[in-house]
Amino acid sequence: MIKNEIEFILNDNLIKIKDIDTNVTVLNYLRSNKKLTGTKEGCASGDCGACTAVTAELNNNKLTYKSINTCITFLYNLHGKQLITVENIGKDKLHPVQQSMIDNDGSQCGFCTPGFVMAMFGMYKNKIKPTNNNIDEYLAGNLCRCTGYKSIKNAARKMYSYGRNDKFTKNKKITIKLLKSINKNDVIIDNNKKKFYIPSNLNNLIKETQKLSKFKFLSGGTDLTLEVTKQNKEINSLIYLGNNKDLNYINIKNNYLHVGAATPINDLIPKLKNIYPSFADMFYRYGSIQIRNVATIGGNLASASPIGDCSPALLALNSSLLIQGKIQREVHINKFFKSYRKTTLKNKEFIKEIKIPIFKNCIFKCYKISKRFDDDISSVFVAFLLNLKKNLIIDMNIAFGGMAATPKLASKTQKFLIGKKFNYNNIHISKKIIENDFNPLSDMRASSQYRNIVSQNLLERFYLEVKNNRSETIN
Amino acid sequence: MNNKIKLFSIKKEHESASKHVSGKAKYADDIHEPKNLLHAAIGYSQIAKGKIKSINLKEVAKSEGVIDVITYKDIPGINDVGPVFKGDPIFAKKNIEYFGQPIFSVAATTCELARKALRKAKINYLKEKPILEIKDAIKKKSFVLKTKVIQKGNVNKSIKDSNNTIEGELFSGGQDHFYLEGQIALTIPKEDNNYLIYSSTQHPSETQQIVAKVLKQKFNSINVRIRRIGGGFGGKETQSFIFAAISALLARKTGNPIKLRIDRDDDMIITGKRHDFYYKYKVGFSNKGKINGLDLLLASRCGISPDLSGAINDRAIYHIDNSYFIPNIKLVSYRCKTNTVSNTAFRGFGGPQGMFCIENIIENISKYLNIEASIIRKNNFYQKNKNNITHYNMKVEDNCINEIFKDLLKKSNYKKRKKKIIEFNKKNTILKKGISITPVKFGISFTTTHLNQGGALVHIYTDGSVHLNHGGIEMGQGLMTKIAQIAANELGLSTNEIKITSTDTEKVPNTSASAASASTDINGGAVVNAINKIKNNLALFITKNYKYKGKAIKYKNNKVLFGNKSIDFKKLISLAYLNRISLSSSGFYKTPKIFMNKETLKGRPFLYFSYGAAVSEVIIDTLTGENKLIQVDILHDVGKSINPSIDLGQIEGGFVQGLGWLTTEQVSWNVNGNLTTHSPSTYKIPVSKDIPEKFNVNIYEKGFNIEKTVNRSKAVGEPPLMLALSTFMALKNAVNNNNLKAPATPENILMALQE
Repeated sequence: MIKNEIEFILNDNLIKIKDIDTNVTVLNYLRSNKKLTGTKEGCASGDCGACTAVTAELNNNKLTYKSINTCITFLYNLHGKQLITVENIGKDKLHPVQQSMIDNDGSQCGFCTPGFVMAMFGMYKNKIKPTNNNIDEYLAGNLCRCTGYKSIKNAARKMYSYGRNDKFTKNKKITIKLLKSINKNDVIIDNNKKKFYIPSNLNNLIKETQKLSKFKFLSGGTDLTLEVTKQNKEINSLIYLGNNKDLNYINIKNNYLHVGAATPINDLIPKLKNIYPSFADMFYRYGSIQIRNVATIGGNLASASPIGDCSPALLALNSSLLIQGKIQREVHINKFFKSYRKTTLKNKEFIKEIKIPIFKNCIFKCYKISKRFDDDISSVFVAFLLNLKKNLIIDMNIAFGGMAATPKLASKTQKFLIGKKFNYNNIHISKKIIENDFNPLSDMRASSQYRNIVSQNLLERFYLEVKNNRSETIN
Repeated sequence: MNNKIKLFSIKKEHESASKHVSGKAKYADDIHEPKNLLHAAIGYSQIAKGKIKSINLKEVAKSEGVIDVITYKDIPGINDVGPVFKGDPIFAKKNIEYFGQPIFSVAATTCELARKALRKAKINYLKEKPILEIKDAIKKKSFVLKTKVIQKGNVNKSIKDSNNTIEGELFSGGQDHFYLEGQIALTIPKEDNNYLIYSSTQHPSETQQIVAKVLKQKFNSINVRIRRIGGGFGGKETQSFIFAAISALLARKTGNPIKLRIDRDDDMIITGKRHDFYYKYKVGFSNKGKINGLDLLLASRCGISPDLSGAINDRAIYHIDNSYFIPNIKLVSYRCKTNTVSNTAFRGFGGPQGMFCIENIIENISKYLNIEASIIRKNNFYQKNKNNITHYNMKVEDNCINEIFKDLLKKSNYKKRKKKIIEFNKKNTILKKGISITPVKFGISFTTTHLNQGGALVHIYTDGSVHLNHGGIEMGQGLMTKIAQIAANELGLSTNEIKITSTDTEKVPNTSASAASASTDINGGAVVNAINKIKNNLALFITKNYKYKGKAIKYKNNKVLFGNKSIDFKKLISLAYLNRISLSSSGFYKTPKIFMNKETLKGRPFLYFSYGAAVSEVIIDTLTGENKLIQVDILHDVGKSINPSIDLGQIEGGFVQGLGWLTTEQVSWNVNGNLTTHSPSTYKIPVSKDIPEKFNVNIYEKGFNIEKTVNRSKAVGEPPLMLALSTFMALKNAVNNNNLKAPATPENILMALQE
């Protein structure tokens, strides 16, 4: 049975929706429809965190709590989840997070505060005892212009002293029961000349895709929603991949890491940590936790941004993509990007899986350079994969982001280095060659001159780190 | 006195803290929306300079949900929201002067529909070549205001006679305010063509006056009200006017309430920022680094109009000395007109730009003489009994910088750390460290003397509860909390008995902006004055009713004490009412002692100075220019604090805002003059990880204001921002090159290292 409405829990109440425009964001729904004005709009682009709320999802009979940017989440994405807002967490008695914020003077003008409270609530529900790094990680997506963060970080550090169990722990059974009551069948919303499809499995997704003529795929929506919030466009038909369990998986098989395209990036990090720690570390800086909780690796590739950090890393790793249309085909990532924001994806095709080879005897490292350390788009990103035997370069991939209209290998440099000794002299020569590989732009993030110098210097950094077997960086 | 200080030391959180954390604190966009509300949006220029050849808004008017469209033709009064000088049109008529200049506005049934409609405008332009750089403006003599020159002593001779001279150029960057709550105004039509405007502004009175002039009505027909704003930092001192004016224009034309809340990107494109500066200097100094003479040209990007640029550049001049006695000086100040948005007030108001210059010069002297910079700084400090007259002839009477500096050097273990850093840098080729200590001396008072006045209105109701209003705006700085503490202290009550409601032009008229760090001094003074008037009424009643012949009446712990009597405050109030005693009063305050000559800038522009100092230790990566702030130690003077936790919040927050200005925050335009950093995805303010793990912030315990401010406290809003200069100087120290440009982005650091 196909349903024509979505269901979710807003704080304590089950809500069913079918008539609201499919382009409405969660933030606008909360503020305009529900008059829940505690959640604020700071930027409407997912960069400031003032709109943060928390979702709870049911996984294996357990609740997983995730902070999200409501300003760049479509309302219909909430299907099957609980949405918790700042008004609710301390409804009867202030939540430990809230009391800690008050006692540590964590608010000044107060406008960013609800967002911080909810980001901290997300941390409260996920971590037992946060380290300083955890705090920075969980707060990286929230901007405060008044406090200088010291008081907020103190509040985060001390919040558990106000109690480790909250009302959500107490009401767990009721919430699980409510979430279970939500029908998991496909949903088709059809109103105001717009459609929103939520296929529940891969077969239905392929079927729906073939039926429709003009539509866009939506997963986390952290890029696509900006067309609505920033360009004032209307997106008529959307197919939502986020609830599709057949696209959300991580397996290790035959020396490959298989990642379902709609797997949120945050779920991937722990797995990557063991295989390619440098890749995992990059993801912490790739976007705030609110973004990583919903943004998917498939979405990142399909949007084909020249500055997405994920693509050059995958490029260096010789990854390939399983592309699903009527039939399935496999494409090496090097063939996937055609030009600026263009890929080989044909109409009605979507990425089903990313296949990442696991190179056990190679060295993989990546470096991200940006104005701000956290939650900033790279001016230069580079990933290296090196197969070294007896100090001889057997094979080497050097993939850059931010240096061309697409993620791109430094082919001339690679060609020069492969077969040569891994020594300072050769690296020094190859620094000159890199200049011929790229002709980068100047923009607000960096000048072409800077990009050129840094790309050369990162080659040197990689060499020094491999040779000395230690990393010499400021962090 | 002792009692007062005791009371103020009790920890008191922000009066709205529990509302902030639970989402109950209402901002302009959260106010219950009135019936028939329409939403507005602004269409703006897509070129930086030129003329409108043709404009066709028919499709805009026909767009779904649109109720009305307005242009300059729909303005009954003046088409200008310039605060001091004219030059800020609401809507461009024919001439376009910057990318983002408003041209028209629409009102529609929803915010989304209003914004969608904008895109249907057809405007053809005749493009002209814009002036985008300060140096270009100087060359073309493009200025918004007259050049100012200030002199003291004989500069040429003093430099010529010096053992050492250096000269050079410096650059400091602009800065977007990035208040978390964007610009917004909600206008509600009332009877008799009167309008009530909820505006996120630091300046309700001027909003009232300007909207009245735009509508061609009397001031008394416009009422501006706001309970709190989500950050201002100077960005809502004048930049909020245009939004209030457009919402009022649309409300007048449609007869409907109008909300104008603009998108973040549009906010950053349409509104002014901190002035970036270019400096050219020549300095003469002794072998000990003692400055004999400074010949300086300073030029700022004012954008298209004067706005507040006159006073901002004046303040830059007033702070070129920071804490240093400079016996001979010549300053030439260019106020450049560029085809970029009109730059405006930003926390520090030119002060940071002035200090940036002298601190760089000190660093350069230190490098030249190879003498540690902290020693050069000490050698140049103002002294107590000599070398204490500034270049604008004001005597520095409250100098405590020598003490603060000495204390902090010791507290931060500066010398030992400096030695360690020298060792570290010898051993490391890729990573380099740097450390610096810099002072702050910041003048408190509006330099425009007449603005230094405040008002208040206090009512005591018959149950003894107190209601008050004043002219200041709560923008996060804790003003309402401090004012409530002051009132509670005067009346011997707890702050729970004091209710402060929205700042409202109907309650307190003719106020000044909440700016210049002076809001507590000015409005707190007015509240004390109002309460004293009520207390005088009560004293007369007490004398008559209790036959009390003494003078001393104390208000303490909810009691009123006189002679051997102790009466409940509530009881006394209720009795006073029954005896027809007035329990309400307005209050007024004007800052004493200050004056200045507008032409020569000489005089006493400030009542007093706030002082502070900071040590920053940094590490840089010479391969990439990436950098990290390792440790910060701050000692800051707030006089006798009214609320230490609020003051600490101001110090920490001010420092981090200054840190952003000097490191990651970069305002950039492309060759056509389009702002390219117009969202938080491209414009990066500091986040949690950017603050140092060791962030030691202390209030100077011996702090005391020799002027008679409330509780002898000192202003704290702006001064701490300039403590972040220590971070820039530490970076410069690590880079070891004079040519580091601000902001010290990885790119600017790497480029300085290449030279």
